[in-house]
Amino acid sequence: MKKLLALLFASVLVLAACSSGGSTKQTASDSKDVNEITIWAWDPNFNIKALNIAKEVYKKEDPHLKVKVVEMAQADIVQKLNTTLSSGTTKGLPNIVLIEDYRAQSFLKAYPDMFKEVTGSFKADDFAKYKVEAGTYNGKNYGVPFDTGVAGLYVRTDYLQKAGLSVKDLQHIDWNQYIEIGKKVKAATGKDMLSQDPKDLGLIRMMIQSAGSWYTKKDGTTPDIANNTALKEAFKTYKALMDAKIVKPVSDWSQFVAGFNTGDVASAPTGNWITPSIKAEASQSGKWAVVPLPKLSGVPNSVNASNLGGSSWYVLNIPGKEKAVDFLAKTFGSDVDFYQSLVKEIGAIGTYKPAAQSDAYKAADPFFGGQKVISDFASWTNKIPQVNYGLNTYAIEDILTVSAQNYLKGKDLDQVLKDAQKQAEEQIK
Amino acid sequence: MIKMSNLKRFFIYLVLVIACMISVFPFLWMIVSSTNKSVDVTKGSLLPGIFFMQNLHHLLISSDLGTALFNSAKVSIITTVLAMLVASLAGYGFEIYKSKAKDLVFNFLLLSMMIPFAALMVPLFRMFASVSQTVPFMGIDTLSAVILPTITTAFLIFYFRQSTKMFPKDILEAGRMDGLSELGVFFRIYVPTMKTTYAAGAIITFMSSWNSYLWPLVVLQSPEKQTLPLLISNLGSSYSPDYGVIMTAIVIATLPAALIFFIMQKHFVAGMLGSVK
Repeated sequence: MKKLLALLFASVLVLAACSSGGSTKQTASDSKDVNEITIWAWDPNFNIKALNIAKEVYKKEDPHLKVKVVEMAQADIVQKLNTTLSSGTTKGLPNIVLIEDYRAQSFLKAYPDMFKEVTGSFKADDFAKYKVEAGTYNGKNYGVPFDTGVAGLYVRTDYLQKAGLSVKDLQHIDWNQYIEIGKKVKAATGKDMLSQDPKDLGLIRMMIQSAGSWYTKKDGTTPDIANNTALKEAFKTYKALMDAKIVKPVSDWSQFVAGFNTGDVASAPTGNWITPSIKAEASQSGKWAVVPLPKLSGVPNSVNASNLGGSSWYVLNIPGKEKAVDFLAKTFGSDVDFYQSLVKEIGAIGTYKPAAQSDAYKAADPFFGGQKVISDFASWTNKIPQVNYGLNTYAIEDILTVSAQNYLKGKDLDQVLKDAQKQAEEQIK
Repeated sequence: MIKMSNLKRFFIYLVLVIACMISVFPFLWMIVSSTNKSVDVTKGSLLPGIFFMQNLHHLLISSDLGTALFNSAKVSIITTVLAMLVASLAGYGFEIYKSKAKDLVFNFLLLSMMIPFAALMVPLFRMFASVSQTVPFMGIDTLSAVILPTITTAFLIFYFRQSTKMFPKDILEAGRMDGLSELGVFFRIYVPTMKTTYAAGAIITFMSSWNSYLWPLVVLQSPEKQTLPLLISNLGSSYSPDYGVIMTAIVIATLPAALIFFIMQKHFVAGMLGSVK
């Protein structure tokens, strides 16, 4: 018993020591050397490379600033940010973090004081409107735009030829025409038109944004599902695609990539960031082209341009924030030459309008039969309808994934969407 | 009769062979994939390729594999040694010494097994963040922060207590008679007799520490401190991941754990049986 008591006392002492340590304010991080900024980002071939180019460029501005780039998977960044921010400490936070546009609003809303406002550090008018909107909360800019997720329809020209078609037949079409073309291609070549992962509603997301609509209303919180004409049409189109038997089902990302690498599918409607993956199969050089994404039929404001993914830079409200803002403003925020290097060296397309006039954007790509792909993407970027991605894109999408399956199995569409609306309203409050 | 038993045996082996294939296939695929290019991996190639060295080369230049291996080894070994010491002492104490409060404390301990780690993460992080100022070597972004919360688990203490139940207590009494101190009894009599229990416990702890992902992810910040699972996760972070390289890294990460398991397999089985009896 004595021993137990002794143990208890000892543990109490240890705990006390810990808690008294906690009450001393965070002096160490305040006095931290602010000549170093830390940045978290994912993808070594894309975001990290872009940062390293920015680092080089910024050396001319401030040769003394040390920029530490930390590479982490996107899911890991989300996890770390959430844990650190919700624990209320700033210890270990980076100065700049890359956040996917779909997730940005929820971070800005959940931790309003933790992010530094960057309004005025770059000219918002110089960037694609939809992109600036993604990083704006309560009328203030928080995100410095980076890559566009501008979508296009990647097509195999050789398969089209076999079906007696050409790239011209795919310019500015709608999804119903796309399905008809898909049937022809399948009849002529035996290949499916596209692949789809039933767990990933990226296609639906692209469709509704092309009509300026989203899962939530303009306020970013009210679910907009049951009476959303664009979403309804997107679901109908999704089912029509499936019913036409021109879709190759895949179960994950690697199978999706394999779909076009092996030549099993004739097209891929997706974001421009897929280009490196498409080019990875060098034997298909010259057999690909990119055309504008089809629009929704029957929805008058749907256009042949949309977006899938993309992310922006956010500055955290911790010591070193002024330097971090300056770093972003003078690279991603205003430097045309920098954007040219991004395109030349990593194929990353920004949303900075002045860059679109530069030579690098106008270069022809032999892999795509000499098409000026970058320039095409840049011009579509400016046509992407602006939507508020809101707070719950992925939460609602989880609900809709199930709804889509129910609908495909034959349930009534109105009922399916009504149920989803109800479920979404109950879940997010 | 003989025919019957042969038939029975045939089915038993059939089931075993199928089970074996199911459990071994992923490993086989992993090893095969590490010798292929990314494009071939996504195509689902099951034939070994010739790109292992190239994948390894890419892995070595694109990431700091050596440091991650070293960090993982350091964390796992220290965790295992400390965990064995602390958990066995606790398990031993719970079983050998008599006290009324004992069962109450033990029940609390078992209750803590019910709380998922995700729920503890934020408070734990806060604790380490606040310690950071006063005791920097124990704060956020240190390997000790990775090690400390895992050096003992309710499961391990429970496991050692169960194993101690069948330990012949008369020997302890004999040791005390001969003038050994309480700690002397523990280290000179208990520890040597419970070798198999320690082996099994060590394997479990080492494996879980070696594969541990969530807590190191949250608490470690600098790239030079990352452990292997974090490095592998980073490799997959790309929009167009190089699956060949990832598989090579996974093979390298699996080898030490697999080796240790095979070496200590005999003790492991014996230890597990011991605790069940």
